[in-house]
Amino acid sequence: MLQKKICMLGGFAVGKTSLVRRFVHSIFSENYLTTVGVKIDKKSVAFPDKTVDLILWDLAGEDDIGSFRVSYVRGATGLVLVVDGTRPATLAVALTLRERCEAEFGAMPCILLFNKSDLTDRWAISEGEIDELKQRGWQIYLTSALSGEHVDDAFRQLASMVAK
Amino acid sequence: MVEIARNVDPDNHALYEGVPAADHRLERLRQLLVGGEISELSRVTHLLDEPEQLATAVGNVLPEATARASHTQLGEALAPAVERAAQRSIQKNPNTLTDILYPVFLPAIRKSIGEKIDQTFQSLNESLRHIFTWHGLKWRFEAWRTGTSFSAVVLKHSLIYRVEHVFLISRASGLLIAHVTSQDATSEDPQLISSMLSAIQDFVKDSFKEKENSGLDTIRFGELRLWSEVGQFATLVAVIRGNPPEELHEVIRDVLLRIHQESSRALERFDGDSSQLPGVETQLQTCVELQHMDSKEGFPWLVVTVALLALIVAGGWFFLSWQSAHRWQTYLSRLAAQPGIVVSDQKIRGGDFYVAGLRDPLATDPQSLLPGTEVDPARVHSNWQFYQSFEPQFVLKRLSASLAPPDSVRLSVVDGRIVAEGEATTTWINRARAAAQQLSAGGPVFDISGVRDVSAEERWQAYVSRLETLPGIIVADQNVRDGQFYISGLRDPLAADPQSLLAGDQVDPARVHASWQYYQSLEPQFVLKRLTASLAPPDSVRLSVVNDRIVAAGEATTAWINRARAAAQQLSAGGPVFDISGVRDVSPEEHWQAYVSRLEMQPGIIVAQQNVRDGQFYITGLRDPLAVDPQSLLSGTQVDPARVHASWQFYQSLEPAFVLKRLTASLYPMDKVRLSIVNGRIVAEGEAPDTWIDRARAAARQLSEGGPEFDISKVRDVSPDARAAEHWQYYVSRLEAQPGIVVAQQTARGGQFYISGLRDPLAADPQALLSGTQVDPARVHSQWQFYQSLDPKFVVKRLTASLSPPKSVRLSIIQGRIVVVGEAPAGWISRAQATADQLSADGVVLDVSQLRELNLAELNQLREAIQTTDIYFSSGRVVPGPEQTPVLDRLADQLKEFAENARKAGVTARFMLTGHSDITGRETANASISAARAETVRALLNKRGVAPELLQVRGAGTFEPAVPENENSLTGNSTNRRVSVTVNLE
Repeated sequence: MLQKKICMLGGFAVGKTSLVRRFVHSIFSENYLTTVGVKIDKKSVAFPDKTVDLILWDLAGEDDIGSFRVSYVRGATGLVLVVDGTRPATLAVALTLRERCEAEFGAMPCILLFNKSDLTDRWAISEGEIDELKQRGWQIYLTSALSGEHVDDAFRQLASMVAK
Repeated sequence: MVEIARNVDPDNHALYEGVPAADHRLERLRQLLVGGEISELSRVTHLLDEPEQLATAVGNVLPEATARASHTQLGEALAPAVERAAQRSIQKNPNTLTDILYPVFLPAIRKSIGEKIDQTFQSLNESLRHIFTWHGLKWRFEAWRTGTSFSAVVLKHSLIYRVEHVFLISRASGLLIAHVTSQDATSEDPQLISSMLSAIQDFVKDSFKEKENSGLDTIRFGELRLWSEVGQFATLVAVIRGNPPEELHEVIRDVLLRIHQESSRALERFDGDSSQLPGVETQLQTCVELQHMDSKEGFPWLVVTVALLALIVAGGWFFLSWQSAHRWQTYLSRLAAQPGIVVSDQKIRGGDFYVAGLRDPLATDPQSLLPGTEVDPARVHSNWQFYQSFEPQFVLKRLSASLAPPDSVRLSVVDGRIVAEGEATTTWINRARAAAQQLSAGGPVFDISGVRDVSAEERWQAYVSRLETLPGIIVADQNVRDGQFYISGLRDPLAADPQSLLAGDQVDPARVHASWQYYQSLEPQFVLKRLTASLAPPDSVRLSVVNDRIVAAGEATTAWINRARAAAQQLSAGGPVFDISGVRDVSPEEHWQAYVSRLEMQPGIIVAQQNVRDGQFYITGLRDPLAVDPQSLLSGTQVDPARVHASWQFYQSLEPAFVLKRLTASLYPMDKVRLSIVNGRIVAEGEAPDTWIDRARAAARQLSEGGPEFDISKVRDVSPDARAAEHWQYYVSRLEAQPGIVVAQQTARGGQFYISGLRDPLAADPQALLSGTQVDPARVHSQWQFYQSLDPKFVVKRLTASLSPPKSVRLSIIQGRIVVVGEAPAGWISRAQATADQLSADGVVLDVSQLRELNLAELNQLREAIQTTDIYFSSGRVVPGPEQTPVLDRLADQLKEFAENARKAGVTARFMLTGHSDITGRETANASISAARAETVRALLNKRGVAPELLQVRGAGTFEPAVPENENSLTGNSTNRRVSVTVNLE
């Protein structure tokens, strides 16, 4: 049994919870997010030689970075940063959150999800920006909680990154 | 070159032995080629050789080097040194290390103590709970037998719990390291649960800023408890159902400790791969196996039940036999207490009860005493002999039965004697005496001396009660004394004679002393007799007694009825009812006939029909509205108006008297016309205008149809003159209504009108008033004298003209008085007051009391300010210097303000500017210079907007100096070179 703690970070209403709702195994209600500030789900990713259980800590989205409970990230081996593709400000929030985590716990594998890719008409992140981020070594996925596009790919990528 | 070769290879040294070693050129070359390296080398050598320098250098790099070193190797290398150092430090001064470790130990110690106390309490609780139970005794035995503590035994047996799950969770990541579960327990995904548990731990720690390293100790939810034990790298969480003992904490802690000891490295490095920790689950399994259910070992219920039953039966038998003997004794004692019952023998045999003895037939039945003692009557065997008891109460009972004493005699037991008291007949007394004699042989004394013989008295009582039933006789008092009978009371003369009744009752008349007073009985039959005698009713009236009421029926006159009514009223005070409603009054009909004939006599009233039916009177007919009201005629006829039903039709009577009345009402005859009846004709005489004559003529024509004749031939027509006179009178009255006009005299003579009188010039013109009066002005001859009317309106007009009151004053007429209200200057008020005094002589009230003097305080203040202002001049100058400009400005403003305020108050302010000079120079020059100064100031003030007509000027020369002058002064006093201002109000 190989399991890894993964934290999902992102600003308010970027769709973290929606993203995992359909694609992961969960036993806890979403109320936990508002009460405890975290909800834990599990995503199993099967590789030919092994299966990795990603224990996903879905941290309550906060635009107020100050109230972010960084202690929840302790022991995490990977991060999933979620950005709302229709709100450029959430990208800054996600990057700031990651900086805070890495400052506290050191560098760790990380993927960046631009969510709500189905809302093309309101899309606000330019190709150039994404390319630039990719150039800087980011693993980027344009996902849609609605269609499920790239969600599995993203988790698979992350699983392979943390299970090395 | 040789040198280079030598240096390059040492072997070459030998090869070039011949070559001189110290070639200074070579040395130079060396310097050129490697001089820098040489000096650097020498610096490093020096550094290594000098310990102090070396220490400094190593010190600089040591932290960095330590950080980069392999942790394991460094740890191993340092461990002995650190251990030694610590040892040394403790030996040297233990306090240093204690201080360092204090923050670490304290929480641990605190927690440990807390748990120990918890354990103690738990143990104590359990001990107390079990100390007196069967289990408790058993467990004490077990504790003694096995040599363990009692609480341990209690714990072993009493607590019911089961460890359902055990999670081992990595503290760093919250990831599940291992999880074991008891056989049939279920749960959700343990990976998620473990992560969530650690998340909640974090949450609590963050939320309450708990610094302690321990985390959540216990979570309790209903039956479930989560106990978590925090280790260095991993947390062990046990999910327990039921009621675990505190000792379980220790067990769990031991397991956690063991796991840490065995797999410390693996735990520390745990990265989510649980295959690295293979043996852990076995350890956890020991926790899950910890469980205890209540012992099901059988208790010897059967034996205990049987023993208990036997006990109950035996006890019951003993109790019942004791109880029945007790009850029997109770019964016997009750028997013995009964009078007339003597128990001679009693015993209990085979559960049956035997009793024998004597009983009086009058005594209580022994059988009847059984209920209440709970002795079974079926098991009681009695053998009673009857006897006659001489106990007084039994003798009393027997005497009561045999003598049958009358109600008036009472038998009782007094001090063992039987005493009879009361009254009885002679025969009964004789029987009682015989019984007493019989009893004297052995029985109690029977004392009948207290019984009085009452035979003759009974006959007397019969007589008295008979008297009491007789009507018209009232027995007031009666008694028997010394065989003599006394009676007193009232008797109606009409009642039976009490003496005559004596014979029938066998009472000896010689022993009777009666005293009777006569009275009038109110019993109906006596009253009837008396009424018949006193009222002497006519034959048509019959009196009778019906249900105690005396009823009169028939017909009678009012007079008799009135008498009867009076009698009835007398009787109403205590006597029987005398009902005379059945007597019909035959008088009203006579009165009615009298009334009708009186009506028929009345003029203007015609009776058409009248009758009497059932005591009601009906009348119909005609009446003139002017005739006497028939209703009013009823009074004095003694006819009850309520019984009269009249139906009158109005009609106009043509009798002359009525016609005259109607004419008088309809024609309103003039003062000068008189109407009268002469031989059945109506005659009008006198003077009247043509309009009246026309109306009278029309009335006469109407009357000609059957009515009396209306003769108006004697009325003279006075119309034209009368109208003219009327118009004139109207004009005169109009004049008289005019204020300010007094008509003294007026006459109409020969078609000409003459008028004379007084008129106020302010009053309306009498001539102008003629228009509209239809009086011919040509025929009016007026003669008017002018006068001053004292009518307040005229007075006000005149006052307004003469006094010219300021705007702030208002004159008004209130209830004939002239009231002056407002504010005015004192001068005006005094003038008004003078006028008021004059007017009061003429009887006109001019009330000036409400006038208030104009508030001149402000004005006075301003006046003061103005009058103290002086404009100063240089010697010989008539124009003030520039320094006086502000003074002039201010003065101008003050003057304007004062003038305005004065105007508002109804007065005119005037300002006198007086020029002055000092005494230097000639007097004439001074006079002119002072006047010139005043003129200049007037011009300057005028320039500043002060109206010139308000400013007056004069020159005072040296005559009004402000300060006395020194006559010898050459320069003169500058204070006296000035212009002063005086304010005057007009």
